[in-house]
Amino acid sequence: MLLKSPLNDIHKEFRAKFKEFAGFEMPIQFSSIKDEHLTVRKTVGLFDVSHMSNVWITGKDAEKLLTLTTLEDASKIKDGMSQYTAILREDGTIIDDTIFMHLGEKYMIIPNAGMSDKVTEWLNKKSDEHNICATAENVSRDYVILAIQGPKSRDTLQKLIDVDLKKVGFFACRFINISDVECIISHTGYTGELGFELQINNLEKAKKLFYKILEAGREFDIKPIGLGARDTLRIEKCFLLAGNEFEGGRTPLEAIMSWVIDWDHDFIGKDSLLIQKEMGDYYRLTCLECIDKGIPRHGCEVQNEGKKIGIVSSGTLSPCLNKGLAMAYVHPEFREKDRILDVIIRGKQVKAKVVKPPFVKKDWYKQN
Amino acid sequence: MTKEIRDDLKYTDAHEWLKIIDNTAIIGITDYAQSELTDIVFAELPEVGKELIKGDELCVVESVKSVSEIYAPISGKVVRINEKLEDTPEMINESPYDDGWLVELEIKNKRELEDLLDAGSYKKRI
Repeated sequence: MLLKSPLNDIHKEFRAKFKEFAGFEMPIQFSSIKDEHLTVRKTVGLFDVSHMSNVWITGKDAEKLLTLTTLEDASKIKDGMSQYTAILREDGTIIDDTIFMHLGEKYMIIPNAGMSDKVTEWLNKKSDEHNICATAENVSRDYVILAIQGPKSRDTLQKLIDVDLKKVGFFACRFINISDVECIISHTGYTGELGFELQINNLEKAKKLFYKILEAGREFDIKPIGLGARDTLRIEKCFLLAGNEFEGGRTPLEAIMSWVIDWDHDFIGKDSLLIQKEMGDYYRLTCLECIDKGIPRHGCEVQNEGKKIGIVSSGTLSPCLNKGLAMAYVHPEFREKDRILDVIIRGKQVKAKVVKPPFVKKDWYKQN
Repeated sequence: MTKEIRDDLKYTDAHEWLKIIDNTAIIGITDYAQSELTDIVFAELPEVGKELIKGDELCVVESVKSVSEIYAPISGKVVRINEKLEDTPEMINESPYDDGWLVELEIKNKRELEDLLDAGSYKKRI
């Protein structure tokens, strides 16, 4: 059965085109992907991302469970802060990447769409195996998740909130009341722009809040944004998408997530990562910007002088740069900056250059 | 929203239009098709001189998120392609029946034209 976001009727009202996404019928676009993409880069957009999951971690050892099962030492993440991390299998491959939020005595994690049962079961299993007093509870269906993203996101939300939003720092999170709706706010996002995400567990009030945010952002020409633009926005910033970048089993070293690995604590998968790091011969996620015309897509081969040396995990045309972009797993010998490689698109070689992430730099809108 | 359908063109179930002039057919995609695809950002056209059999891949149009193959609605030889689409693929969205045409074929088998739809029949299908 296809699941629907509680806001499905609102999407229809805004003439969304729908697409199935991890078992959910979600809006792929409203006006057009390009238009929505540039709206977020230049002003502000409102996303419904309720297909994402919500899992509470409770119990006196909640922190211990997260420290054991993620790349992060959760004891270092203060109350009121959130952290991007990943959950690994013993062999070091990623089960899912997620944000966890430290909210007083408990934590909320936001696994990807369709991953809530798998992650919840995994955490409870590890909790049992290691005699940890903590429980994971899947509450995904009780929550609407909204993301307000773009340079005008703070100005938009501020109209509805008494608390000074400038005091909610990057990656901070807290319970808050927004226009009489209780929710969890975090200064996080998936677009690389200034932005906030809201977790709301009153579905009716969430619908009202959706309209209120649109009303508050009207002076900035706010728009509802579909998942199509969400994908192109994240690719321009080289953010990972679980279904693409972790397909077939990838480790955080391969996915260039070293920056989120805290090596100073023990976690499931660490031993395997240390071995891989020592060997050093693994393919690594690499950013390719097309020189020739052409749009790389998931699954396209990457070649060096006619020899296969990689594969594209995500590709798109960049609405900001008007160039084809690819995130690709490439052999370590062929990924130094400025090297020219070929992406094979429908049998043709399309030249692309290795670049440093992100493709689109911070505050792009100020220069454009 | 109503989509434009022109009376003087022939159509296919796959939302292509054909303008038949003597022995050649100019081919494009319909207003309905362009609005479904939205944001066309790339068009890969065949080479002039290429011989196609009905059903062969004629060209590929890409929107930001999707790749759509367009198949030859009739058999024939490519005599002209819309080279302007290389720099301005968005013409397919803006002017699907005029500036956004794709390919001109020299018709090989006039009997294949009998399978095409007229404007009235096409309208009923969208």
